[in-house]
Amino acid sequence: MDLNRRDFLKVIGLGAAGSALPGCGGETAKLIPAVLPDEEIVPGVANWYASVCRECEAGCGIIVRVMEGRAKKIEGNPDHPLNRGKLCARGQASLQGLYNPDRIRGPLQRDGERGEGRFKPIPWEDAMSRWVAALQKHPGGAVLISRPVPGTLAGLFSTFMKEISGTVLFYEPSAERPLRAANRKSFGIDFLPDYDLANTTYLLSFGAPFLSHWLSPVHFGIAYGEMRQGRPAVRGRFVQVEPRLSMTAASADRWVPIRPGTEGLLAVAIGRLILKEGRAKLSREDRCRFEKFYDPFSIDRIANETGVAEEEIVRLAREFYTAASPLAIGGGIASEQTNGTDTLVAINALNLLVGNINQPGGIHFFQPSGFPASSAEVVGEQALLDLKNRTQKPSRALLMLYQSNPLYTLPPSTQFRQVFEEADFIVSFSPFLDESTAMADLILPDHFFLESWGDHVTEGIAPAVGLAQPVVIPRYDTRPVGDLFLSAANRFGGGLKERLSWTDFRTMVREQWQDFFALRQPAQPFDAAWVEALQRGGWWKPEGKPVPISQRGAPTAPEPARFEGSEKEFPFHFYPFPSMGLHQGEGANRPWLQELPDPLTTVVWGSWVEINPKTAQEYGLAERDLVRVISPYGVIEAPVIFFPGNPPDLISMPLGQGHTFYGRYARERGVNPLTLLAPLIDPPSGGLATGATRVRIERTGKRGRPVLVDQTGQGAKRHTEEGEA
Amino acid sequence: MVEYRDQNAPPGGPYQWGMVIDLDRCTGCEACMVACKAENNVRIAGEDEAAKGRAVSWIRIERYWEGEYPNAQLKFMPVLCQHCGNAPCEPVCPVYASYHTPDGLNAQVYNRCVGVRYCGNNCPYTVRYFNWFEPHWDEPLNEQLNPDVTVRSVGVMEKCTFCVQRIRAGQQTAQKEGRRVKDGEVTPACVQSCPTEALVFGDRNDPESRVSKLAESDRGFGLLEELGTKPAITYLKRIK
Repeated sequence: MDLNRRDFLKVIGLGAAGSALPGCGGETAKLIPAVLPDEEIVPGVANWYASVCRECEAGCGIIVRVMEGRAKKIEGNPDHPLNRGKLCARGQASLQGLYNPDRIRGPLQRDGERGEGRFKPIPWEDAMSRWVAALQKHPGGAVLISRPVPGTLAGLFSTFMKEISGTVLFYEPSAERPLRAANRKSFGIDFLPDYDLANTTYLLSFGAPFLSHWLSPVHFGIAYGEMRQGRPAVRGRFVQVEPRLSMTAASADRWVPIRPGTEGLLAVAIGRLILKEGRAKLSREDRCRFEKFYDPFSIDRIANETGVAEEEIVRLAREFYTAASPLAIGGGIASEQTNGTDTLVAINALNLLVGNINQPGGIHFFQPSGFPASSAEVVGEQALLDLKNRTQKPSRALLMLYQSNPLYTLPPSTQFRQVFEEADFIVSFSPFLDESTAMADLILPDHFFLESWGDHVTEGIAPAVGLAQPVVIPRYDTRPVGDLFLSAANRFGGGLKERLSWTDFRTMVREQWQDFFALRQPAQPFDAAWVEALQRGGWWKPEGKPVPISQRGAPTAPEPARFEGSEKEFPFHFYPFPSMGLHQGEGANRPWLQELPDPLTTVVWGSWVEINPKTAQEYGLAERDLVRVISPYGVIEAPVIFFPGNPPDLISMPLGQGHTFYGRYARERGVNPLTLLAPLIDPPSGGLATGATRVRIERTGKRGRPVLVDQTGQGAKRHTEEGEA
Repeated sequence: MVEYRDQNAPPGGPYQWGMVIDLDRCTGCEACMVACKAENNVRIAGEDEAAKGRAVSWIRIERYWEGEYPNAQLKFMPVLCQHCGNAPCEPVCPVYASYHTPDGLNAQVYNRCVGVRYCGNNCPYTVRYFNWFEPHWDEPLNEQLNPDVTVRSVGVMEKCTFCVQRIRAGQQTAQKEGRRVKDGEVTPACVQSCPTEALVFGDRNDPESRVSKLAESDRGFGLLEELGTKPAITYLKRIK
């Protein structure tokens, strides 16, 4: 018995050395956890390895508990300045990505018609040849749509695609784009700032869902705790202005409902009052510009348009300018409109007026870390839609996908599917068979992030470069996407081979770090610094270096937001929001997240329509009735949940469900509200205006089955009814 | 009769584990819920079983709606086993599966439980869960299971343990070194993941521990404390 177990452990040890580190065993055997020699594995004793979470774009530091070669638990890295040992629900659940029963286990090629989702296994060698042949056949016509990968991988992708004259698009289907565009306009700075929530005394947020999914929710969660109860004798106040009472608004001291798309106007009114009441901290020159801008606006007209009473506007302005360190932020529903960027510019102006740039409790701009090959520009929906026109030329038609699912995250009304249908050849590197990957001709599955090397640059928020190492032996016959691109470059030959001459991605990461450390701490020998970075989980400094702001842009007048669908025919505003667990749909194949109750409604495992209870009564709807939601672009059906936090004329729905592929837990469950959306874009940022579609509802006469897990009163009754039905 | 002696009893009296939950910090983000499931091998019910009210969550976020639009308000409250000093679940258990440890934990002995569910009926906090079916994980999701924690089979009651496996590991380390567990050395999974630090765990017998100091706050209250259950969890009122 004992002997068997020992043999078993030996096999694990050997497997690790063989697969994780081709050709570099000698040096790394001491450093890399996955290749611990078997005598160092003690059954029942856990080893902890540092890495970087890749579930959202924040890049929190994590430590992974590994026992006998199996990852058991993921926790926040206590050293990492971004998340300080804390981790969100999605990060915790990433283990269910690693152990997902529906992972793609080896290279596949299409078997049957494109889009049917039928594939057959193919040897790696053949798969690589087919991909490289496709690359050679489409000079200049290759497009890589990737999720944002801030780090060495971004550098690899960019260099590769540039060298073959192709295009790489780092596409993110959420609303960070308007923020970058607005910061460019207001401050002349492109990267994201750090909002010093922890030290603010008055936080005025226009729709920013910073406690659920905006930018870096764990980082903001920590700061929020400190803002509320972390200081002796000071409790920061927090007001949330947004049409729907979101999870973030639930934590606010005061929720100020507002008409969708008019958040910028309210910011203008507040700015005008600050200036008029002589509380602006501006230079004489700036003051003139701002006065000229604010002068034509009248408060009562804005009160009328926003639906926020004049007294409330005055109160907000006075609270804001009298606070010791006020802070205004904007995002989420406020920026997901056709005037999103202008709205954020108007909100930025409030910070300029009270002079909180690089002040405690204000907006901070930090010097970028200077990590090489990471400054990849993130694009919005417009950049993808531009492909539609380009791919019409038959020669430009090799489409590559890296962990990006545009067929799910783009509304069908954008007709983006055309790009897939017309593409000559589609290659996906996704570890899961999502909707876009199902259209592929060839699938070269990547390792899951816990099996891969990588790094993650966090600029702005807490300057850090996280280092990701494989914490477990790769489970299946997958290959790291970095290795695939380097191998393809090698086969391609010529300039590409010269520029990307690394044998494997790990070596490339290591060399990038070598260059980085040569710049940052040249005194320390690199080998020691590298080991330290692996153990700590990356490199960071406790304090970033502030960047002074020279540009102080006055706001531009926000255009009225455009809405698709006439008010008469479609009486409701429609707002689809990223779900707490499933986010934009990526979490839908993780049972933990499917069974994580929505914090506001407690629904699990499905979709629902949130309607104000009074409105529902007017329509003769009972809770759980199945309704048809109709927009000018589509129809979906989902059960009604009474939602006291919605205005009478707004209907909201969570994103994340309605997958046609993506594994057993996600497939054919609920509906995707994006199918209703109009193809409207916020022009300066190129981001989709998700809040710009109007809808109407119809009764179906049927009952739906939303699963609610709340244990109090009504919920318990619902369970009983369900049991009897 | 042999007198019971706690082998783990540290110098200076037994521990008294307790928690403080600051509702002014809690944002309802549910990080605690997934952290708990991952640490304690809490099963997945699936849609059909969840619809029958058979989903399990050792810690959950209760929500309370007040008012109507535009004055609607929502409050969150994490609810887990209160580890009552005077626990209503304990005296009703016919087989002594529900008992009180010397360090103040309300423990559940799974292999003693016969599934009569009296404890669940008697718990005013509805934090005890019955296993209506044999837990199941699709391969290879089972490889994540924490070997330090039992997987509870069909027919038994289960509940929050304050991550007793972590507490015992911390106590043993301290005992080996001949000292008491330091404040903050032992944290249940929910406390550890909580971004806002709304949850604080520690020894109530140590007057210098964070949990003891916070529990003295004038915002403090016990959940349904009028029932006389003497919960080990002190909530701090949310400020409005």
